[in-house]
This record gives sequence, C-alpha cells and structure tokens, in this order.
Amino acid sequence: MQLYVNIAVLASIYALIACGYVLIYRVSRVLNLAHGELMMLGSYLLLTTASLFTGHPYLAFAAAALLALVVGALVYLFLLRRMTGEMVLAAVLTTVALGILLRGVMVLIWSASQQYPREALGWANPAIALPGGARISTFALLLILSTAAVYLSLFVFLRFSRWGIRMRAAGQNPLLAAQRGISLHGVYALAWGLSTFTGGLAGMLLAMDSGLDGTMVVIGLKAFPAALVGGLDSLVGALLGSLIIAAAEIFLIHHVDPLLSDVVPFLVLIAMLVIRPWGLLGTKEELDRV
Amino acid sequence: MSKSLPRASGYFRTSYADELPLVQTTLQRLSLKAVLLALLVFPFFATSFQLDLACQVFLAAIGALSLMLLTGYAGQVSLGHAGLIAAGAFTAGILAKELNAPFWVTIPAAAVVGALLGVVFGLPSLRLRGLYLAVSTLALHFVVVYLGGEYETKRGYSTGIVVDPPKLGGFELIDGRLWYFVMLAFAVGTLLICLNLLRGRTGRAWRAIHSHETVAEALGIGIAGYKLLAFVVSSALTAVAGALFAYYRGFVSVEAFSLFLSIQYVAMVIIGGMGSLLGAILGAVFVTLFPYAIENGMRLLPGAEKLAGAVFAVNYAAFGLVMVLFLVFEPQGLVGIWKRLQSYFVLWPFKHRPLASGRR
Amino acid sequence: MRKSGLAFVAIAAMAAVPAAAQDAYLVGVTGAITGPAAGSYAPVVEALRLYIDRVNAAGGANGKPIRLIIQDDSAEPSKAAANAKKLLTQDNVQLLINASLSSTYAPMVAEITRARVPLLFTGGVCPKDVYPKANDMQFCTTAYAANYDSRATLSFVKDTAKEPVRLGLAAMAIPISRGEIDFAEELSKTMGMTPVDKEIIPPPTPDYTPFATKLKDANPNWVYSWAPWVTQVRTLEGLRKLDWKGNYIAWAHIESELELARLKDANLYVVGANSLFQDNLPVHQEILAAAKAANVSYPPTQMTEGWIGGMAVEAAMKATPWPPTPAKVHAAMQGLKIDTKGLRGGPIEWTADNHFRTKQYYRVYKWDTAKNATVLVKDWFAYDVTQ
Repeated sequence: MQLYVNIAVLASIYALIACGYVLIYRVSRVLNLAHGELMMLGSYLLLTTASLFTGHPYLAFAAAALLALVVGALVYLFLLRRMTGEMVLAAVLTTVALGILLRGVMVLIWSASQQYPREALGWANPAIALPGGARISTFALLLILSTAAVYLSLFVFLRFSRWGIRMRAAGQNPLLAAQRGISLHGVYALAWGLSTFTGGLAGMLLAMDSGLDGTMVVIGLKAFPAALVGGLDSLVGALLGSLIIAAAEIFLIHHVDPLLSDVVPFLVLIAMLVIRPWGLLGTKEELDRV
Repeated sequence: MSKSLPRASGYFRTSYADELPLVQTTLQRLSLKAVLLALLVFPFFATSFQLDLACQVFLAAIGALSLMLLTGYAGQVSLGHAGLIAAGAFTAGILAKELNAPFWVTIPAAAVVGALLGVVFGLPSLRLRGLYLAVSTLALHFVVVYLGGEYETKRGYSTGIVVDPPKLGGFELIDGRLWYFVMLAFAVGTLLICLNLLRGRTGRAWRAIHSHETVAEALGIGIAGYKLLAFVVSSALTAVAGALFAYYRGFVSVEAFSLFLSIQYVAMVIIGGMGSLLGAILGAVFVTLFPYAIENGMRLLPGAEKLAGAVFAVNYAAFGLVMVLFLVFEPQGLVGIWKRLQSYFVLWPFKHRPLASGRR
Repeated sequence: MRKSGLAFVAIAAMAAVPAAAQDAYLVGVTGAITGPAAGSYAPVVEALRLYIDRVNAAGGANGKPIRLIIQDDSAEPSKAAANAKKLLTQDNVQLLINASLSSTYAPMVAEITRARVPLLFTGGVCPKDVYPKANDMQFCTTAYAANYDSRATLSFVKDTAKEPVRLGLAAMAIPISRGEIDFAEELSKTMGMTPVDKEIIPPPTPDYTPFATKLKDANPNWVYSWAPWVTQVRTLEGLRKLDWKGNYIAWAHIESELELARLKDANLYVVGANSLFQDNLPVHQEILAAAKAANVSYPPTQMTEGWIGGMAVEAAMKATPWPPTPAKVHAAMQGLKIDTKGLRGGPIEWTADNHFRTKQYYRVYKWDTAKNATVLVKDWFAYDVTQ
C-alpha cells in the first residue's frame, strides 16, 4: 500500500513540475530549461513573504504564489519576448542562461544554507494514516490535491475560457492566431506566468514538506523526462508520463538497485525518443531545425 | 603557391581551386605568421599561471571546435558534450590506471571510444531533430556519467582517480611550458582537421544538411551517413580533449563532467558565433577567461574585502547575464563583432561590400 | 587567421595582479562557496576568514599578517584544480586549504604533490591519506573521518542498545559516503549486530519516502547514516513520517545544533567531534561575538569547523619563522599541537607520520523532550589513531 502512496506522491511532484514545461512548450514551442530555477525562486519568495507577513501564513503563501505568476510573466516580457522568432535553440539557451543567472542571484540573496519555509510560516506537517496501513505527510497529501486541482483547472481553462482558447490557438498556428487578432505576446506572457506559478507552487509545497536548498534545481530537471515521455505538448500526457516515470523509479528503488533510479528516467526517455519522439500523447510534428 | 587575392574589392576567383587554399591574401599570411610567432614566444614571457590559463583555453578550444563542427556546421544540437569529455577522460584514466598504458596508447584509445560513442549519440539524430535531439544527447550524458560513477565506486577511487603525468621516453610531462606546446599542438591539429573537413566534400555536405535536409538529400547527399560522420568526428575529437584533460589535471572523477560543463561548451559556441571556427576559438577564450576577469574586476572595486563572500555568486550570475546579453543583443556572437570591425576598417570609407563577401 | 591574437591580449591582460612584494604569510583557500554543496562548506570558509581577521587584528603571526586568498570551486573538481594551480603559481601561497567536497581532493593533491606545498583539509572529510602512515603533504583538521566515525558510532550503539541491534544503514550515492557505510556494514557484523538493510540514496531526491519505506520494511531498531546532512535528516524525516519509532544515529555536521532544536526528535542521536554551543565555553562566546560583529551570512553555530581550521593556520604560521616558504610551513606542521580550547575533546596533534590527530575524540548529543534542550548523552571518548 505504502508503495502506491509513494508512487502517487512522486508522480504528483513530477506532474506539477512537468505541467510548467508543457504549458510553455505547447504555446510557444520553447523548452524552458530554467524551470527548476524558477521553481526554486518560488519557494525562496515564500521564505521572504513569510518573514514579511509574520502571523499570516495564508496571506504569505498567496502572496508568494502571486509573485511567482508575476515573475513568470516578467521573464517573458523582458527576456523571452526578444527571442520570439529567433531560432528555437537560441531561445532554449536563453532559458539556460537565465537559469544560471537566477542561481547566482538566489545565492546572493538567500545564501546557500538549508532553509525551512514551513517553520517560518509556523505550520506543522503531521503524518496522516491512510487505510491499508500507509502513511502520508500533510504536505505530500496537499501536493497531490494541488496537482489534481491545477490539472483540473488548467483543463477547464484551456477548454472553455476565452484566454485558454487563445492559448491553444497560438500553440496550433501562431501566424493564423495573430491574424485573428490574438495578442501573441499576451498569450505567451500568460503561459510563462502560469508555468512559473505551477512550478513555484510545486517548489513551495516541496520545500514545506522537506526543506529548501540548492539541489531543488536538479529536481526540476528530473521532472523533465516525465514531460517528454508523455508528449511535450499534452497536459494529460505529462500526467501519464509522470506516473510512468514515478512508478518505474519507485519500482527500481524497491526491487532492484536504488542507484538506477537516477538514470532510468533518462533511459526511458531515450527509448521513447527512439520509438515515438513526440511522446505518448503528444502531437506528431515536423520538428525544428537549428 | 597561390595567387594573393586582394581582400576588399570583390570576388575574383576564377577556378574552384582558388577556393581551397587556407591562406588567401598577403595580409592573412602576415597575420598568421604574427599570431604563430606570438603563440610560440608567449610561454617564454608568461608566468606559470598564465600558462595554465593558456592550456585551459587550448583545451576548451578543442572541445568548442568539435562542438562547432557538429552544431554550427552540421546543424546537430548536442547537450551531451560533457558526457563525451567524460568518456575520453575515463578511457585514458582507466587504461593508465589498470593497464599502465602509456600516453600514445590512451589518447588514440580515447579517440576510438569517442568515435564509437559518437555513433551511439548520433543514432537518435537519424530520427530526431532540434530540441528532441538535444534532449536525447542530454539523456546519454547522464548514462555515461552514471557508468563512470559506478566504476569509481566499485574500484574504490572514492575521491577520484589520480592519473600520473604522461611519460615520453622516460621523461615526465609536468612542466607548464611543455604542456603549453603539447596543448597548442593538439589545438592547432584540431583546427586543421576541422578546416580540412569543412573545405571539402564533407563540409559542403554538412552545410547542405544544416540548411535543408530534404534538398540535401535530393542533391544526392547520404543524410544518415554524413550525420553519423559528424557525430563520430566531433565525438572523437572531444574524447581526445577529455583524455588530455585527464593527463593535464592529473585526475578523473565524474563530478568534473556535470551538465554545467556541457552548457559552458554550448555557451562557447553561441558566444563565439555559430557557424564559424574562429567563433569557436573566440568563445573558448572568452568563456574560459571570463570568470578570472570578473574576479579581478571585483577586486578593483572599493570595499572589495567586504565583498569577498559575494564575489563567487556574482561571478556565477554574471556568466548567466553575459550569455543572456549575447543571445539577445549579439546573436552573431563575438565573431559578428569581429567581422563588423574588420569590414569597417577594410572597406573604409565605404560601408558595404560590393559583392558576395569573402569566404570565412 | 588572427584568431588567437585576441587570446594573447586577453591572457596578457590577466597578468593584472602580479605577486606583490611579500609582506604576509600567504594561505590559499579553495572551497565550495557556491553550488549545490555550498550550505556545508561556505560557513567554513566564512569562519576561517573571520578567525584570520581576528588574528591579524591582534598583530598576526610573528608580527606579520596572514593573508587568506579565497577561491570558489563550486565543489567542481576541475575548478578546484584550476584554483590550486592559480594559488600555487600566481599567488605563491605557502599553505593550501581545501574546504570542499571530496571529489575535489584528487586534482588538488596532484597539484600540491608537484609543487611541494602542504595541503590542509578543513571542513571536508579527512581522507585516509592523512592517517598514519600519512602522505607527506596532506593534513586535516576536519571533525569527521572515515572508519573512525563508524567505529565510534557503532560502539556507542552497542553500549546503548538493550536488545540485539538490527541495524539499518543509509548513505548518499557519493563514493565517500557509500564507502563508509559499506565499512560500517562489515564492522557491524563483527560487533554482533545484524545489518538488515542498506539504502544508497542519490543526492537530489524529491521524495525520501520510498527509501524510508524500504528501510522501515526491513524493521531495524537502529538506523545509522553517515552522509551529508541533507540525506541524514531527510531519511530520518521520511522514517518518522512512516511512524518508525526506532533510534536514529547520524554524524553531527555543522548544521546539527540548529537541526536538533528544529526536529525535537527524542530518538535522534548525533555523534560528533565538536562541542556544541550549548556548552557555552569562552571560545563559543568568542565565536558568537566575532560573528555578530562581522554580520556574517551563516549561523554562528556552523562556524566551529572553520574556526578550528583557523586555529590550525594560526598555529602553523606562528611556528614558521619569517620569511616563510612552503618547506618551512611543512616542517612546522609536522610537529604541531593545536589547542582547540574545548571545541574538541583535546588538542589536534600532528607528527611526522600522523597528519590526522593522535587521539580522535567523540561526543554524542541528542534532544531531550523533557528539558526542551539538547543534552549530552555521552561525553568525550577517544580512539588512539595508530596504524
């Protein structure tokens, strides 16, 4: 039983992070390799808002999440906007460079030591007993619930809301979308904002469950195979991919060699790329050249 | 041997053979001689720290040139460069440690291993392009590094494998000046290999694939073969750089070959300028020396002592910032700046070249 | 073909800082000040700087100041190698200090062996090379050290446990930690314990619960972890989340004093070689005051390790007659006795073939829920360091 709970937790961590990759890729065909850093930035923002609004943890949390949204949009408006229309590789490398920049800045501001935003907010993290003898910590449960909520609302948003439809249109054919009067920059900025918001949310919940330090960036990168296996432009795919990667990882930890859990997501990824490069549920597309 | 062509006044070549010589104008010949002379004389004036920097630059240049071949010319993106360097370093390290193999065995062995890995790294390129290809090479990087780590742990080299300096006929290669010449020789060798490949059939095929695969195929170019060739050549050269690294630094350990190293090489190619060997070299120089320049710059600032703790975070951030700035404002890279400067002086008082620009 | 002309100019420009006329003892430091491991090493470098600043303010060594030249290696081996080369050849330091991850050791050792400059490890794990018969050029002040730590920990477990010990082991997937936990597994068998499970956990793991689940399923009553603090504490938190109530024993890294108070876990023991600030010795007050004055960015309770490193540097330089050379510093370090003023169980003594210490002292602390404070469980006990 515990095994399944572990899979669910890991899968929702990956899924919540992966949907950030998918959102941006789906809309603008840019792979955001600074996602791990932006996610970490989100959790550091929480640390700051926690010290600003002492005694109001919910307010601090909401403020941090909102800030993450704004930061994402700003990243697009001030940086990536200039890269639209350039080669895709250049845009991807810009995100890589942004990631490096952010990492340096974060060490400058918050130092490199281990931090605990949950303690700063004054929340506890008791474990909850589930039927079947399994246990889960409060924030891990919250993480699963948030993932479900985020995916559900994204689904509704993209399917029914005006801006959601615009986002899908921009993703399908930017030229036609622009000609129909859709503001591409607005749509892209929204995608970046939403992506950083979900990433930041993942970072915050993760940091509250287990603490915050410089290694969070790497976790952001680990969620990336999940997004790719599922198909970089499909949200349902990201969910499925996360489940597959998480299940593979936990199975390996439990029954084979835990060390393999580090490379196997990437092995699954290679296999996927060779067999079905566009992922399980992604759209088959003419992939870009350099 | 060849006719000296004037530089600025147009395109006067009358046969294909004229395209081939590496050195085409008198000015080029003179400056080549000057640079070579400077490079040969440099170690006799440099401190050993400067020699070390120069060696780092040469090492980076080998890696950057081979990546340029692959990415800048053949158009195949790779984020797995560090994995290939690791492969070369581990090949040299393992052979030297386990079999006591000498220098002249391990370096070619590293090249062979690199070439084989190149086939592996290149196979996905037959199906994938662009981003997806980059990701597949990234994944392979993790696999190579994992294998290296397993070897280290299983053999008990928990703090890295120490590699003894190479011996050439009973003489140990330790001296910085000697290393300088060895590295210089390898770097120049790599440059010549690249130049020769690029001015021939192979180079033209790569460029054709880069600009349009379908057209290239219609022209009768074997896409699969040339793509794999690009990976093989580039990987072999990179692995040699890895092996040299192992000997030069005297150690091998997986932590030295992080994703960040791959990114640094990509940065060299980008900052230097895509599609130019000169760009690869300029990029290698820039990326290698940049952190030292920042550090020295910070030291000159007032209150530098107080900033001591922050210098390194600033350095890290600055590297990211410079990369961003280049990507956004100077996509042509350093070589773009260089060409503009050159045109400015060569064409002065005019602004534009009369016809197709000279070969470069 | 004018490519490298620029390189030449740039390299020539790097000559900006020539070696100044020698007016100080020069000590080069390379540490993981940024990067993923910075949390454990940056405080060491900061404390080292603080200590040497104080020494200089008090007149330095033999009337001359000690100048620290600090470089960052981000725990990357190739950067450490480049740093070492720079410090050795451009700054001409008489002593080199490593405060970084063990993966940076090999390249630095390669450099110092060539240059014949002593290398001091402080903050990073003591390599076996400093144990007798010690490598000529390597010295270490760091509290934690392979093999001795596991001996001390397991003997404490054996003495404390009332029932037969079923031991779970947890390591981080880095060679040094894996090696030590493998050693502990073998050792525990000879001490009559049953190792039931060994988990090797990759460094950045989003969720430690899967590993904790496996450990818990093996049903140990003690779990021992010797790894960077993150792995130690997150494994524990994972186990507690699963309602495992056994005893957990881990190495007392510099973070442990704050962490014990944060976790408030009654069955968490930490084994360490440094005294905690709750002892409130004069030296602790000194560190606190210095940290406060300098407005440091890391908690003062994480300063002990760097402070001891500073003590070693001060002692070494005071024993080196002016003008200093690496050979003189090396000679001075061969027979050095460093008074740790209570930060350790005893002085750190180096001899010609022991560059670790002649006696390694350990203490065990835990959190006491009744007193709501960290308490000493076992006072200093020592191991003779011999072959």
